[in-house]
This record gives sequence, structure tokens and C-alpha cells, in this order.
Amino acid sequence: MRYFIRRALHAVFLLFGVSLLTFLFSALTPGNYFDEMRLNPQISPETVAALRSQYQLDRPLPVRYAHWLNAVAHGQLGFSFAYNNPVAPLLWARARNTLLLTITATLLAWLVALPLGVWSAASFGRAPDRVLSWTTATLLVVPDLVLALGLLILAVRTGWFPTGGLVSVGFDELSVSHKLRDIALHMTLPVVSLVLATLPMLVRHVRASVADVLDAPFLRAAAGHGIPQRKLLYRYALRAAANPLISLFGFSVGTLLSGSLLVEVVMSWPGLGPLLLESILARDLYVVIGGVLLSMLFLVGGSLFADILLYLADPRIRTAASAK
Amino acid sequence: MTQRRKFTRWLIVLVTLHGIIAAAGFFAPYDPVEQDRERPYFPPVHIHMMDTQGHFHLRPVFYPLRLRAGSFDQYEEDTATTVPLKFFQRGAAYRLLGIVPSHLHLFGATGARVYLLGSDAYGRDQLSRILYGGQVSLLAGLLGATVTLFLGALIGMAAGYFGGWRDELLMRIAELFLALPWLYLLFALRAFLPLAVSPLEAFLLVVIVIGMVGWARPARLVRGVVLSVKERDFVRAARGFGASDVYLLRRHILPETASVLLTQAAILVPQFVLAEMTLSFLGLGVPEPMSSWGNLLAALQQYNVLVSYWWMYLPALAIVPFFLGYLSLASALQQRTRPYKIEEKSSWSPS
Amino acid sequence: MQPLLRVENLVKHYAAGRSASLKDKLTALDGVSLSIPSGETLALVGESGSGKSTLALCIACLEPPTSGSIWFEGIDAAALGENQQCLLRPQIQLVFQDPASSLNPRWTALDIVSEPFLVQGRFTKPDRAVRALQLLDRVAIPRKMAARRADELSGGQKQRLAIARALALEPKLLILDEALSALDCSVQAQISNLLLDLQSSLGLTYLFITHDFAMAAHMADQIAVMYQGRIVESGPSEKILSSPNHEATRSLMAATPRFIETPGVLVHF
Repeated sequence: MRYFIRRALHAVFLLFGVSLLTFLFSALTPGNYFDEMRLNPQISPETVAALRSQYQLDRPLPVRYAHWLNAVAHGQLGFSFAYNNPVAPLLWARARNTLLLTITATLLAWLVALPLGVWSAASFGRAPDRVLSWTTATLLVVPDLVLALGLLILAVRTGWFPTGGLVSVGFDELSVSHKLRDIALHMTLPVVSLVLATLPMLVRHVRASVADVLDAPFLRAAAGHGIPQRKLLYRYALRAAANPLISLFGFSVGTLLSGSLLVEVVMSWPGLGPLLLESILARDLYVVIGGVLLSMLFLVGGSLFADILLYLADPRIRTAASAK
Repeated sequence: MTQRRKFTRWLIVLVTLHGIIAAAGFFAPYDPVEQDRERPYFPPVHIHMMDTQGHFHLRPVFYPLRLRAGSFDQYEEDTATTVPLKFFQRGAAYRLLGIVPSHLHLFGATGARVYLLGSDAYGRDQLSRILYGGQVSLLAGLLGATVTLFLGALIGMAAGYFGGWRDELLMRIAELFLALPWLYLLFALRAFLPLAVSPLEAFLLVVIVIGMVGWARPARLVRGVVLSVKERDFVRAARGFGASDVYLLRRHILPETASVLLTQAAILVPQFVLAEMTLSFLGLGVPEPMSSWGNLLAALQQYNVLVSYWWMYLPALAIVPFFLGYLSLASALQQRTRPYKIEEKSSWSPS
Repeated sequence: MQPLLRVENLVKHYAAGRSASLKDKLTALDGVSLSIPSGETLALVGESGSGKSTLALCIACLEPPTSGSIWFEGIDAAALGENQQCLLRPQIQLVFQDPASSLNPRWTALDIVSEPFLVQGRFTKPDRAVRALQLLDRVAIPRKMAARRADELSGGQKQRLAIARALALEPKLLILDEALSALDCSVQAQISNLLLDLQSSLGLTYLFITHDFAMAAHMADQIAVMYQGRIVESGPSEKILSSPNHEATRSLMAATPRFIETPGVLVHF
């Protein structure tokens, strides 16, 4: 238990560190949101100055950081200059879209990777394993940017899938089932892209972990007892190989917000990715910090989650922890 | 196949690939910035061995394209003119490796432009742009990897050898860097730096930014090696003869880190080339008129290009053989250090 | 005639666990005193964890003691500054137990033996090679092995190499920290005889650390028994072997399989 408290504290420190780093970074860099405005001859310098002081950009850095920390404590994340809106609801709306994509993709990827990996490990060195290994190797060699763009072109040339956005024009007039279908169609390409990007590594890791375990004596003993192959593989081998996979799953959970940035930008999916990119380019400070922090929260939470799962799943870790 | 032979084989593949890119001037038929406004978005030409009259030509031929009657953007082959493809042609001047001036090109044609991979909006030959663009992208990746490994090795050695509070501090910072998603870090670093700079400056900025993103993992790995080597008796023995810290680091510890650094290099270079491509694709990297694989792909962000001009996607595929080469090389290297472990998680680690 | 080495009340504490302070400390040496006359061999016998290796490191000036003095030829080595200690170190050399770890496996035998010359900046390169080959001769390693990498040599050859390297700087005192323990019996016999030859031809003084009483009996003039950081019994070999006083001594003797204690008679297998 003390271990978890320590980890949680560690996570909080990490978040602090990152927020501080981002703040510092933004202060050190030349330019801020209002530089663009200053260049615009139609807006008078006084207006710009007034806006700046309104957003407190003329106060010294520690003051701004303190104010921001205060705001966070109250559940607010600052104000977006570009969208003229508080940051939190903006982030939340976009994050929801991202999560829709990534949760689907992650679940799908794992649901496919587990049986494939187990099958690969069970037929180690033989034909199915070789075919699968070759396929994963090929997929690994194609980076996600290339994959995403390729899928996009495919979509465009075949016209089977819409090539951007979350919903079509005239979405609101559709019936519920059509609405769902519309979203699903829009989701297909990004989800496929994400799944193809993460699947090969997952399959490899599952294969490696299960193959390691398959050599163990206890499995041979179980086989000797006449337990059928499938039960052996899933109930016994997979359980034993679970530890590294649980950590990996935690990592998957951790990248729910940050892993799809590129795919979202390429496929024009209105998620957190394009928002962050825009805000970085526009120097919309609080959006950037809020977005980075939100992603970090997930990353850190993901690894904590993995640790908790490990603790619950593996009795050896439970006893070791309580012995401390 | 033994590990050594695998390593050699992939090394040869990589050297060949890099050689082709390095000798881009020779392999490219045209100068990459040479525009031809009369021929925008030409599709790739078909090379024929047999012409429409049924004559077999030893030398491949192609038909120049012309606008189809009554259309703005549909092209067809002008079968009246047969243009032969000539090899070892004298063409535009270039400097091989930036030093040796030459006019020799692998192939070319007179009388019509041979766009093997099509042309872009300004009529520039895509094949040439891909080859020259490779120079920029690969160089960015290689230099970035060098910076990262140098930083990582330095920090890792300092942390591992001196230990104490220095070690704690450095590793905490490394943890911070490792925790951040690298794409975000890359964007943020680049975007917070001045955006409107000359191509050369942009290139240097990209290299520096890429180099600074990835030092944490190599640093941790190097530190691990240093920690284990530091306690070995042969280091103690050398100290017993009066060896200085520098001597120990240089002659005993550094060679042990070589294999880790080499493996990391094989994994990082393709990732960094990809990073440059991503940055340039999004407009944060190398700007025009310098071509890189990334900014060649930027054209795809326009819908009409996506729909009608599929050959603009080809620069994306250019990186695939390099990924294959480097990852296979890395796998061959890892087999030597860990012969029994099936997977190496150093390229993608949950913790 | 003063002894070559005289250790007085050597104490060594290690900070245990993660704290850098010496509050939770591990006492490795708790007031050790011994002396070795020049040209003789003292065997230091003790079980694992008795502090033998720590003592070796302290005497070799590779670890600073917490308190106490180490008199080498009349100079207190423990009190010297870092620079002067460096001058003294070549005269006290250490041979470690595990040659796989004490020799850099990637280096060739020749490089390993000439490393001391390299570090000390003595001699030109060809000269170093010549002297290195001479050292290899002395420990009976065939010259054709000189270009082989250390990990290609057998256990016995590796240990000979370690001894040759230790002799490079012509030390007066050689500390052998369980140097024979990792070797096969027959190889042990060969190397212990080599050591005895070298001692008589070069006039070396040995501090021979071991947990094996039979080996101690074979090699040493004096025996000191170490237990939990202290010397609990010491004296001439025959006396210790025939009438051990301390409990630790007796249990160590009983643990040595080749050695059976019968009253008044030493039976050696």
C-alpha cells in the first residue's frame, strides 16, 4: 500500500514538473499569441496591450504560474486566446472524440493481438507462426505516417469511406441509427490506421511472453493430465505470461490520449491532436499546457493502473509488497 | 543464418541505399528545383519495350504526354513521337557529394521530359525531388541520432560513474523526458522556436530538436552498462596500477557501451528520419524550396491532390526500405547481445 | 628488522542501505592487526563475510579505511594523500578470485599483462611487449597464447595471467584474495607451486587469503584466522594447525574436507 502512495506522489511530482517545464518553456520562447495581433495594422497597440494585461501576460512568470495553479485547484485550466473560451470544456470536447477513437482502436488491437499472439507462440517456428511473423515484420517496417496517408488515398480513390471529420454534413437530420452509422464510417479509417500501427508490436510481445512460458514444466505437467490444448493455452499459459502483458496494457491505456495525434491530424479527426498542434502554432499557451497535462495524466495514470492490475493479478507481488 | 552474416547483409543493403541517395545527382534525371510550368501534375510515364507499331526496341521508349482534347487535366500519350530513354546521359550540372562537379546522369531523354514518378504542381520531377529530398531527411536523421547518442552517452557515463546526487538528479530529469510523449515534445520544441527561418537554419533547428528529444533512453542504458562495469575487478585492478578516471572511462568502460550505443543508433536513426518527415509534413520542418520527404508529402494535405494525383504519395514509400534495413540491422545486433530473448523492448518500452 | 607490512587496528565501516550517513553502518573490519615479515607468507583464513576481501582492498590502497594504520616499509599508507598513495600502489598488488571478472575479456593476454606499464607510462611500446612476453614466460603461459583474448583462455591460464599482470610492476607484496578457490584441484596444485617458486626466485611477500585450511597449510608460514571482522587467532602454521584454540578456527578446519584433525597428527588427503 505504501508503495502505491509513493507512486501516486511520484506521479503528482511528475505532473508538477511537466507543468512547470511547459510554463518555463513558453516564457523562454520568443513570441506569444498577441504578436500576430501586433502585426495587424488595424488593431491599435493600446488594444493589444489592454488584451495582454487582461490575460495577465504582462505579469511576471512566477505570478502567472501561481495564478494558474490556483485556477487548477479550482478545476479550471485557464483561458484560450484563440477560441475565446475557457480551456477545460474545449479540451474535454476534443478529448472525448480522441478517446472514442483510441478506446475502440485499443480494444480492437488487443482483442486481435491476443489470439494471434497465442496462436503464433503455440505454433512456434511452423507455418502459421512464420506467416504471422512475416506479416508483423512487414507492418512494423511501414511507419504510421505512411500507413495513414496510404489509407487515406485508398479511401479517396475507392470512395468507400469519408475522408475526414467526425460527421457528415447534415448529420443532425439523420435518424439515430443513421447517425451511429455515419460516425462509424468516419471512424473506420482512423481506427484501422491506429490498429495497424499498434498491432504488430502487440502480437510480437504476446508471442514472446507466451512462448517463454510454454517451455515451463508446469505446462507440460498440465498437458500430461490431458487438459485440452485451447484451455491450456488460454487459461494456463496466458495467465502465466500475463505480467509483461499487463504492463503493456497499462502503457496502451496511458497512450489513449497522446498516441493518435498524427492519425488525427492526417485524417482530420476533430480530436485533441489537431487542437494541440493548432495551439502550439498559435502560441495559445493555456490550451497547450492543459492539453499536455491531460495527456500526461493519462500516461501516468496508465502506468499506475498497470501496477494496480499487476498487484491484483499476481499473488507473488501481493506477498512481496505486504512483506515489505 | 548466423548473426554476423545477417548483420553484414543488412549493412550492405543500408550502405547501398544510402549510396544511392548520396549520389542523388547521378541517379536523378533532373535538377530538383527545375520547374516546368507547362507540365504540372504529369502522371508517371509508362516505359515501353515495344512501341505501338509492334517494333521491339532494345532501348526503352516512352511517349510524351499531352493534354487530351477538350480537357484541362487529362493527359494521354502522344504516340506519334517515340522518345528513347538514354542511359549515362549528359544533363544538368550537379556536384556529387557536394564536391565533385559532374554532368553525368544515369538516364535521361531529349525532346521530352521523362517523369518516371510524375511531376508536381510546378512541373518538377518527383523522382529527382525524392532522391534529393532523401539527402535532407536521412542527414537529419543521422545527425539527430548522433546528437542524441552523444548527449545520452555523456550523461549516462557521468551519472553512472560518479553516482551520488549527480546520478539522482540526472536520472530524474531523464525520467521526465521519458514520460513525455515524444511527438508532443517534438512539436512543442520546434514550434516554440522561431518559425520563419531560412532552410538551412530550419534544418539545423530540426536536427537539434530531434536530438534533444531522445537522449533519455540511451542515457539510461549507458548508465546501466557503466554501473555494472565500474564494479568489475579489472577496473579495480587498473586502479591498483594507478589508473585515472579518464583512463578507466576511455579504455575500459566506453568500449563496453559501444554495443548498446550501436543498437540504439540502428533503432533511432529511422525514428528520427520519420520525425523529420512528420515535422516537415506539418510545416514545422524544412521549408521549400529545399525538398525533404516530409515536405514533399505536404502537398497531400490538399484534397484535390489526394483525389487526383496519387503519385504524390510515393515519397512516403521511400522511407520503407530504410526502415526495413535499419530495423533488421538492429535485430541482428540484438541477437548477439541477447541470444535467448525473443523480443527487445528497447525501442518501445512501457517503463 | 621491521616487517614488510604491519596493520594496526584497522577499522572499516560501510554505510548500509540507501542512507549516505554512517548511522546505519556495516562494520567490515573491527580493529584488525597483523604483520608479515619480508619474504614470508601469511595465510588469512576465514569464512565468507569475515571481512577478508575488505582487508585486502584496504591494504592495497583501493579502499580508504575508516581508522587505523597500514605500515608498509615503515610508511603509513593509510595516512598518505591520493597522489602519494598512487606512488605506493605499484608495490602492493592484488590478485582477485575470479579471473573472468578481473581480466577484461575482450583484451588480449599481451595487452592485459602490459596494461600496468601503459598506465604507469613506462617504456616504449615495443619494450612493453618484450617485457610482457617475459612475464608470460615466467608464469608458464606459452607465447603463442599472447595474442589470444582473455575469454579464450582456460581458468588456470587466466589466473596465471592475473599473476603475471600483478608481477609487472615488481611489487614487494602480493595479496592473493582467494586466488585459487575458483580453480580445479589439479590446477590449484600447479598454481600454488608456481606461486611458491616465484616467491623464492623473486623474494616476494604474500598475503594469502583463503577459506581452505589445507591450502593455507601448504602455502603459509603464518596463519591468522579472521572472524566477523577481527583476527581471533594467529601464529605459526604448525601451531595453529595442531592446536587450534578459537571456536571459529575449529569450525573452519572441520569444514575443510581434505583435512582431518587427529590429536597430535595431521592427516592430509
